[in-house]
Amino acid sequence: MMAAAAFTTVTFLALLVIAVAFAVATVVTSRIFRSAIYLMGALTTSAAFYILLGAEFLAGVQILVYVGGIVVLIVFAVMLTSSTEMQEDVPSPLRKLIGFAVAAAFFAVTVFMFVLTGFDLSGEGKAVRLGDTAAIGRKLLDRGPDGYILPFEIISLLLLCVLIGAIVIARKTRSAGK
Amino acid sequence: MRLSLGGDDLLRRYGRSFEGVQMIESLANNEPGIYAWLVLPALLFAIGVYGLLARRNAVGVLISAELAINAAAMNFVIFNKFITPAKVDGQIMSLFIVATAAAEVLVGIAIFVMLFKFRKTMDVTKMSLMKD
Repeated sequence: MMAAAAFTTVTFLALLVIAVAFAVATVVTSRIFRSAIYLMGALTTSAAFYILLGAEFLAGVQILVYVGGIVVLIVFAVMLTSSTEMQEDVPSPLRKLIGFAVAAAFFAVTVFMFVLTGFDLSGEGKAVRLGDTAAIGRKLLDRGPDGYILPFEIISLLLLCVLIGAIVIARKTRSAGK
Repeated sequence: MRLSLGGDDLLRRYGRSFEGVQMIESLANNEPGIYAWLVLPALLFAIGVYGLLARRNAVGVLISAELAINAAAMNFVIFNKFITPAKVDGQIMSLFIVATAAAEVLVGIAIFVMLFKFRKTMDVTKMSLMKD
């Protein structure tokens, strides 16, 4: 029991250090392509946190969609929009200072607020296994008052609209004379 | 060797709920509780906000926004595990967040590609007018 708790804590702290290192590298590095790769590292560490929390299906979806889809899209964007003059992305010291001040203030306020919140942890013993994929599937297709069938259908509509919209935005425009 | 950040003293002196401090100091002795877990997405979101404000490349801004969105999704799963472990709603919210983030990145990239074609620059500090 103590060994299991210690293992969880040590893993949590190690992954925390790695995740923060990747995230800081993402926002600080001056080269955009490296930023995309560090983002991939940060998102994979996030999937590791999901596994530590017990949500295995979500970890798989995270790797498939976030790392395997979104990061690849971002790499495409980096390649398509690279020009010789914008290889180095160094913000001015004023921007860095303002950014750091806002981020630090946000972090301080958030931590202060949730540390003072008394969360209702009475449900601790009634756990269903968190990685129960069948329960997720049933909840997604549930047509009762507590179900998520409507957002599920709307998400597919959203993705269709986004697909059509992206094609319309980025297609080759016809030349003026025709 | 017990770690003590003075949570009991604060409780006695101010009489309010400082369980958060006590839980963080119990991190050294037990599994991480909800308060220790919640520090992680707050930190990642703050780093994402820094990138959102400080980045000059438009794709860099998008990358930082993705970091922040991922932190918010992690929040949902943490609440799901600690407050309502009998339901799976938090994970379903995270699934929807992942899908919506994918859609947003797609549209953002389409816009950036066209913007780059017409203005020849990706520097957000130089794009202060909607009409060039």
